[in-house]
Amino acid sequence: MSDILFKVGYGHFLVLAAVLFLIGMGGVLVRRNALIILMSVELMLNAANMTLLTFARMWGDLSAHTFALIVIAVAAAEAAVGLAIVVAVFRGRRNVDVDKLTALRH
Amino acid sequence: MKAFILALLVAVGLPAIAFAQGSAAPQPGQPGPRPGTIVVQPGQPLPPNVRRLQPGDTPLAVPAKGGAQAPELLQPAKPEKFPHGDRVESKLDSKGIPASKPLALLFWAFAAATIGGALFVVTRRNLIAAVMGMVGSFLGISAIYMMLYAHFLSVVQMLVYAGAIMVLFVFVVMILNRPEDEPVAPTGRIGGVIGGLAIAYLVGRLVMILIKVRPPTGEAANLAPGPTSLGHDWGSVKAVGTDLFGPGLFPFEAISILLLVGVGGAIAIARPLHEDEPASTSGADNV
Repeated sequence: MSDILFKVGYGHFLVLAAVLFLIGMGGVLVRRNALIILMSVELMLNAANMTLLTFARMWGDLSAHTFALIVIAVAAAEAAVGLAIVVAVFRGRRNVDVDKLTALRH
Repeated sequence: MKAFILALLVAVGLPAIAFAQGSAAPQPGQPGPRPGTIVVQPGQPLPPNVRRLQPGDTPLAVPAKGGAQAPELLQPAKPEKFPHGDRVESKLDSKGIPASKPLALLFWAFAAATIGGALFVVTRRNLIAAVMGMVGSFLGISAIYMMLYAHFLSVVQMLVYAGAIMVLFVFVVMILNRPEDEPVAPTGRIGGVIGGLAIAYLVGRLVMILIKVRPPTGEAANLAPGPTSLGHDWGSVKAVGTDLFGPGLFPFEAISILLLVGVGGAIAIARPLHEDEPASTSGADNV
């Protein structure tokens, strides 16, 4: 027990990233507000980044840092476009509830 | 309000990790000299590229108390110094990543901040509270990155996420300014069962994969990462930049195009439509 508590190893970081990813996935699946869903997607991207950096530390390979940097840039672009879509949807419909966005439903 | 306190706690904790890294005491009972130290018996000649410990040097291992019979401790001569001071001197324990007790406690504190902030995001009805929980979560994540020797990524995380993306989210939340009626979608019994089974399956697969992870064993795998082949400190700006502008040059350029397209697309999508414009400007053609 004290080993788990006081000897923090690679597995701790991996499990932390996995828990973070699961929380983000739960947010995407359960919540209805588009903003919260976007934030949960950001959480999942961060969990993936943390896993990348843990493996980089584990194997001493720096190229994962480059990859994580690119993931951060993609996340920034995704947030900008996603928030623009949210604003556009809100302007037309006065809410951002994803359950009510059924215009493309067959 | 709780989210503010949480974010404040994490912000106060960030300097503490640097302090703990500096003040972590070395293990007292190390059996032999650490790797990187060359032991030469008294009568033996010196190998090349090796110099004796000078009085100003920090000894890598404490010499035994045997007196004259103790083997001399030598240090490999470093070919070059770090001229711009980008080397981070960390006195971490050699047994694990942060194997000392204060660092383990800090790991748990930052993990709690990360998970707590994430739970805050998913559960709060108030959007501003959710955003503040997100900021606390990101600060915890950047501290975790620093524990993984990703100093540059940690700072980038704080600047880009907590500084830029979260400000964007706050702006949009303020523009929208509508409370949610029902935050969680109501599901029927069958849908709940199917969703629960799917989540259980995904969690099971994830746990199975994580159990199979075999970290590299041995003493050398747990040491603090040494400098890269060019002599830059591991995870520093120079090391990441050397990799980014070498093998990662094409993704870097592609990212710049992606960001440009993203900015243009965001402006094009969020621009007001023609019907929203006031009538006075549309009549300008007739004048």
